[in-house]
Amino acid sequence: MKVTKIVEGVYRIHILNATDDELMEINEKMGLALSLDEMKKLRDFFASLGRDPTDIEIHAIAQGWSEHCSYKSSKPILRKYIFGIESPHTIVVMQDDAGVVEFDEDHAYVFKIESHNHPSAVEPYGGAATGVGGIIRDVLNMGAKPIALVDPLFFAPPDYPYEKLNPGIKHPRYLLNGVVAGIRDYGNRVGIPTVAGMTYFHEGFVNNILVNAGCIGIVRKDKIVRSRVDKPGVLLVMLGGRTGRDGIHGVNFASKILSEKSEEEKQAVQLGNPILKEPLIHAVLEANDEGIIYGMKDLGGGGLSSVIGEMCHAGGVGAEIHLDKVPLKEEGMAPWEIWVSESQERMLLAIEEKHLDILHEIAGKWDLEMSVIGKTTEGSVLKIFWYGEKILELPLDFMTAGVEYNRPYKIKKVKQMQEIPVEENYRNILLKLLSSVNIGSKEYIVRQYDHEVQGRTVIKPLQGEIGFETHGDAAIIKPLKDSWKGLAVTVAANPQIGEIDPYWGAVYTVDEAVRNLVAVGAKPHSFSDCLNFGNPEREEIMGEFVESCRGLGDAARYIHIPFVSGNVSFYNEAFNRNIPPTPVLMAVGIIEDIRKAVTADFKSAGNYIYIVGDTREEMGGSEYYRLMGYKSTTVPKVRFEDMKNRTEELLKAMGEGIVESCHDISHGGMAVAIAEMCMGGKIGAEIDLAKMEFMRADFKLFSESPTRWICEVKPENAERFEELVKARRIGQVSGETFRVRDGRRWLFNVHLNILRNAWSSALRDYVG
Amino acid sequence: MWGESMKAAILQMEGTNCEEETYIALMESGFTPEYVHLNNLRKGKAKLDDYELIFIPGGFSAGDYVRAGAIFAARLKATVWKDLVKFVEEGKFIIGVCNGFQVLIELGLLPATDGISEAPEAALMPNDSGHFECRWVYLKSQSSKIFTDVPEMITLPVAHAEGKFYASESVIEKIEAQKQVIFRYTSPYGSTEYPWNPNGSVNDIAAIMNPYGNVIGMMPHPERAYFPYQHPDWTRNKRDTGDGYYIFRALAEALR
Repeated sequence: MKVTKIVEGVYRIHILNATDDELMEINEKMGLALSLDEMKKLRDFFASLGRDPTDIEIHAIAQGWSEHCSYKSSKPILRKYIFGIESPHTIVVMQDDAGVVEFDEDHAYVFKIESHNHPSAVEPYGGAATGVGGIIRDVLNMGAKPIALVDPLFFAPPDYPYEKLNPGIKHPRYLLNGVVAGIRDYGNRVGIPTVAGMTYFHEGFVNNILVNAGCIGIVRKDKIVRSRVDKPGVLLVMLGGRTGRDGIHGVNFASKILSEKSEEEKQAVQLGNPILKEPLIHAVLEANDEGIIYGMKDLGGGGLSSVIGEMCHAGGVGAEIHLDKVPLKEEGMAPWEIWVSESQERMLLAIEEKHLDILHEIAGKWDLEMSVIGKTTEGSVLKIFWYGEKILELPLDFMTAGVEYNRPYKIKKVKQMQEIPVEENYRNILLKLLSSVNIGSKEYIVRQYDHEVQGRTVIKPLQGEIGFETHGDAAIIKPLKDSWKGLAVTVAANPQIGEIDPYWGAVYTVDEAVRNLVAVGAKPHSFSDCLNFGNPEREEIMGEFVESCRGLGDAARYIHIPFVSGNVSFYNEAFNRNIPPTPVLMAVGIIEDIRKAVTADFKSAGNYIYIVGDTREEMGGSEYYRLMGYKSTTVPKVRFEDMKNRTEELLKAMGEGIVESCHDISHGGMAVAIAEMCMGGKIGAEIDLAKMEFMRADFKLFSESPTRWICEVKPENAERFEELVKARRIGQVSGETFRVRDGRRWLFNVHLNILRNAWSSALRDYVG
Repeated sequence: MWGESMKAAILQMEGTNCEEETYIALMESGFTPEYVHLNNLRKGKAKLDDYELIFIPGGFSAGDYVRAGAIFAARLKATVWKDLVKFVEEGKFIIGVCNGFQVLIELGLLPATDGISEAPEAALMPNDSGHFECRWVYLKSQSSKIFTDVPEMITLPVAHAEGKFYASESVIEKIEAQKQVIFRYTSPYGSTEYPWNPNGSVNDIAAIMNPYGNVIGMMPHPERAYFPYQHPDWTRNKRDTGDGYYIFRALAEALR
């Protein structure tokens, strides 16, 4: 690698005459994570300019071209399936850092879910904390007040044998506790409630855990800020934290597969500081209230390089930056390090000069540092100066446009088969399911997060009698003091079904998101997708990605729910093992009047119990089969028309106030759903399976067929409920036990205390 | 209804974060609340003297990386300590919730069994569970001079990592003898074992006041339970107001 020093910390890299080997050596030494073709493209570009690039120029381009920033493998597929679902409510879709959707006449909600997988696998506490911090900034930079967080997490089973771990891979229990603590210590300190999430265990995540974090905020429509500047002469101001060497090459790191050497890349993990973030949120919102923010973007992946590049490019202007004006955490940083650093708690604000004093005043009150680092210019060229010396001059479209690939893919054929189990003791199966890690109580995790701060959480993540709560399906936030309208928030994913059939796994995920929202009485409104996959350079992984996107798109398009924001996390591969395809949805629903919301806990003895939707013999991917070790590739298939009709019927009944409680049927099937409703209500139930379709009792109890709910209805409302909703009456709330018969044959009778004890024990020994 | 004069200061510094729900609860109960940042007190842009009530809200002041509330207390002592003492001596009201309670203990304004103490007389220690917990608790109201109209048993949320009330036996005895306890953790089932007493507090103490009854500290959050639908069981048990309402109403009436 041939270099010439220009000034202290800046080198010219001689690539014009470099051979392929030399190009890859440069790639490796500079930590660019580019391919040979991309390196050649880079060389050819500078050849056309007739000069060699500086190091900062190469780094700037590598940031823009990384998978993480450019979506080079995913974009063609996303365009085909995910983008473009029409909805009259959307305001900003898939353009800025978060989606913006209409809430009411004057307000919009802003949300996004994003992955922070690679950093969390290496440094779980810091990785998870900065994942939360990053997603908060994405919502904040649209001018919105962040009002809730969600966090779906995926690990290997907590009892995974140590001796089976690959070198450098950390044990799932260590990772689980580190991640939960990271989310807890950041989310709680910054004063935003964590209201929903999931913690899912599957061997496929042993090398690559998934830490996804979502945030939702609320903003007055006239205060929405865009991540663009469309006028020359506007000042670019950094506000908040200083810039350091933490988080250098985070985006490049995220675009590589993990190995035992990943530990050495800890510097790619940023360090969060919630006590800097908290005043930063206040200051930004105050400045926005003053109406002085012309454009804004948070400094996340790719640092200043991505932010200035994308902001100016989107608005059609150029920029002139003086890197020596950036406040630093440490001395001696090279300009390229400053340019790509992903240090946390920093925002870039575009401010007109006449408003600078107001921003100074606000920053002073909150003890925040700010610095004018440059301004926008006519044209489309970015120029960077270092103590007066020009060290970068690049056209923005080349720097940010990146590349796109139509990667080859292979779709696997799923051969239909289903083993038929020997009938076992149903009571034992139910108790085993309740005490399994995917179904058992997540209270130990949920309660470590503050879900009450801000006082807006009107339907909680845990629902029922105080001290006896059960899992709810979605939380509801009441964002505005003077309006009864609410936002329901939930997450959904099902890698177990996706692993067998990525298409139906994705469709099932949409159905589950819909089920969760409807269960609390909310109308599904919009989605944000976080697509977690293995290495896209493998054809079968790319095939999983294509099929998952097709599934998400088909299901969502049928019910007219748009994807308004999202992120793709590829390269979740290590030691030749890829994660199961895991598209995660953060879903938002609207409830016109939160006083009509419904919770999952049974309310009173004598009420009827209904099952809504059809049960089928499709046991593939079910917790029941996994627990018993039976094989099936017959996965649950969603009937789109049923999903649409049942949703509408149930919401109508809830709108009339005749549904006392409701819980969706998912992991563990109907038996688990009813057991949870009993536990939350501290009251038993009697069920007769003969009222359902004709099939084996274990299939009725444990099938995970989609588009189904359990509802509790008062006897006096039964007639009306049956008129509105296609449902079967299968029992009654009563007593202190959960009793099930199939006609005249009694299958089991379990006391509530035994159910609760089994359910509570699942994670007790692993978390804390 | 109580006139414009009842101005309440919600103190802020970096890391306080329950100010918005506090603002709403104060406003709804007849106060005129204002956010007062410590920096503005320090710079003389705001004066404690202008207020009838000081509310120190929950949160993680300065991150609570050292003892919770210690830095908030140290900054108050360094800037407005004389004003604060005068405020208390004039019989105006100070209430600290959660982190605010921790601050009042650090300042020696609570329990203040023999008047304001130089060093803290009590502590809010790490929970017995060893970590942060967010849950709803039942509270038994003790007959105290301000909170006479609070129902005997109410529910409020706690959300803290350091909330175990602890003091030497003699201090506890004095607190009890002087009837300084306002609320104790309880349950409808007779037990006050964990989780009903969520943190292991001595004598199930959840809230106390100074002997004069004008400095109040509590771990549970009344501002998060002002309205009925903020309660976790509102779909099961109907209420006309949230249980936190009674606390704010009592404060307002005490200051009328």
